[in-house]
Amino acid sequence: MSDRSESDRLQRESWLQSTIRRPEIGAFIVMIVIIVALLFASNGKAFNALGLKNNIKIISQFGIIALGAAMLMIAGEFDLSIGSMIGFAGMAMAMMLKWGLPFGLGAATPFTAFAVTLVMTLALGWFIGWVVVKSGLSSFIVTLAFLFFLRGVTEVSYRLINQSTQISGLPDFKEESWFANIIGGEVFGWFYNAWFALGKWVEGMGIDRTEQWFLLGGNLNRRGEQWVEGFDARFFWFILIAVVAWFVLSKTRMGNWIYATGDNKEAARANGVPVNSVKIGLFMFTAFCATMFAACQVFDTNTSDAAKGNLMELFAIAIAVVGGTLMTGGFGSMLGVVFGAITVGLVSNAVFFIPEIDGAWFRVFLGAILLAAVFANERIRKRITGGI
Amino acid sequence: MAEPYMRVENIVKKFGPFIALNGVNLEVYPGEVHALLGDNGAGKSTLIKTLAGVHAPTSGQIYIEGQPANFRSPRDASNAGIGTVYQDLALNQLMSVTRNFFMGREITNAFGSMKMDEMDKIAHEEMLKIGIDFSDPTQAVGTMSGGQRQTLAIARAIHFGARVLILDEPTSALGQKQQMEVLKTIKRVRARGDIGIIFITHNEIHSKLVADRFTFLALGQVIGEGTKAELEGQDIRRLMAGGADIGQLEKEFAEL
Repeated sequence: MSDRSESDRLQRESWLQSTIRRPEIGAFIVMIVIIVALLFASNGKAFNALGLKNNIKIISQFGIIALGAAMLMIAGEFDLSIGSMIGFAGMAMAMMLKWGLPFGLGAATPFTAFAVTLVMTLALGWFIGWVVVKSGLSSFIVTLAFLFFLRGVTEVSYRLINQSTQISGLPDFKEESWFANIIGGEVFGWFYNAWFALGKWVEGMGIDRTEQWFLLGGNLNRRGEQWVEGFDARFFWFILIAVVAWFVLSKTRMGNWIYATGDNKEAARANGVPVNSVKIGLFMFTAFCATMFAACQVFDTNTSDAAKGNLMELFAIAIAVVGGTLMTGGFGSMLGVVFGAITVGLVSNAVFFIPEIDGAWFRVFLGAILLAAVFANERIRKRITGGI
Repeated sequence: MAEPYMRVENIVKKFGPFIALNGVNLEVYPGEVHALLGDNGAGKSTLIKTLAGVHAPTSGQIYIEGQPANFRSPRDASNAGIGTVYQDLALNQLMSVTRNFFMGREITNAFGSMKMDEMDKIAHEEMLKIGIDFSDPTQAVGTMSGGQRQTLAIARAIHFGARVLILDEPTSALGQKQQMEVLKTIKRVRARGDIGIIFITHNEIHSKLVADRFTFLALGQVIGEGTKAELEGQDIRRLMAGGADIGQLEKEFAEL
């Protein structure tokens, strides 16, 4: 009895137990359920060659901004200006491509338009962060101000310079500019090539594409040619940002600082963590994510308008919460956010594959899992902090 | 007698017209526990914040190993070997033991990624040295007991070079058994011989159990001091209550 110490009271968990208790597990299970349900409800159409491409597009869009929002939430702050930042960045890029660089610096290339826009959005992100840390005000109210401010600036700029709140008919920059192509072009063509080759091979064995249910049609169109060439480039950027965010958060010193800042700011500061710099840096990161979202859209479609990114800040926060990020900061996982983005992306797109359902069910579903996720996250927090 | 590691001479601290400390002297020797006692408002907190570099003294001087030292920030004090363990411990509940241990001072490789295995090992060894065998360094601090957290904060301060350890009421807000654990930890740190401890407490019994030297503060002034032997026979309780006479209180009670 006497050789029992306090640490012996903590039971070691088995692999299964610790897996079940991971914060991502809820988001993971919901994701699997949605994937399986959608697969059968759409009769495979949601995951055939074109369905997969379209779903991945939405998932990547949600994912890019949700990763930024989640990182910032882990550090204990919100950013409601993400959606307006997307509109602003899209406007800035499209306008430069159409009317040239500011201050009469001549015509813009896709790269210079992107670079100048990124400088502006990072500066805005820095400024928002600076206002939040210096004023000590809630980031909710400061970024709400920027939600209105940036959306207004975007519309006013369109009307003043462009006389119209949308830009369309830009040339297809992807054909000439390698830069536009890596942002708005297609990636992972090998995946679809392999799918096509496999479908062709199975067809050669006498199984027609309409009967290839297990290959979901084998990436063959009606004439038996390759149907889809590749994923949108945003898929690549989503993966890249997710991997970098995961690495930074869980493996680096910066990640430790982000967790420490969101958990207990004063404790972090007492141990020499540069709390303000961490927060400002993360506001710049959400601005970067919004800019990537906008750039992918502009270079993919060669259009832009003043309403782009509307409500996206709320989707980003909802996905972060569904992925297991705590509203109070200090806890969260990038893997969970990826699961959340897949879930929300698939459901938002489901109406295209199951035409009988009303598209508004998406919002009913999102509201329901958001509420469930908040309760689940609160349970996790209580378990970790011993019920305080 | 050995040289004191830290000597505080005639420290005065004024906040506007309010005199928080009025000429306090203090000596901290390596391998000794120096109990700092006093009632609420006696100036204990102001004194430790001055020693920790949070406040600059209005006048007076702090000497470290005989050399005058001026702390402009908590970092200066920490670099001079003064480790302060505040009541809130500056720990993050949701983070693991190791992540808390190295918070703000992570060990990284050339690419900026943390050497987690090495950090786990150091955190485990440092805590074992002062009495906690931690099976799982990935455990969240929120699941630890108050005494274990105290030990973690002390081990952290020692590992990062504290020669004078300031413990701000480490036994308050703990259960009986955990208080004893913290006192044992203090004894173990004392036994190393190279670290001086300033032990701030309300509890007369605790201070008698572990301290070698006592300083009593009341209304910003030292009202009594000395080693354990010197104070033997004196009424520690009377000094602790700021010199107020308990007998006087009994008389007042009788009149009510």
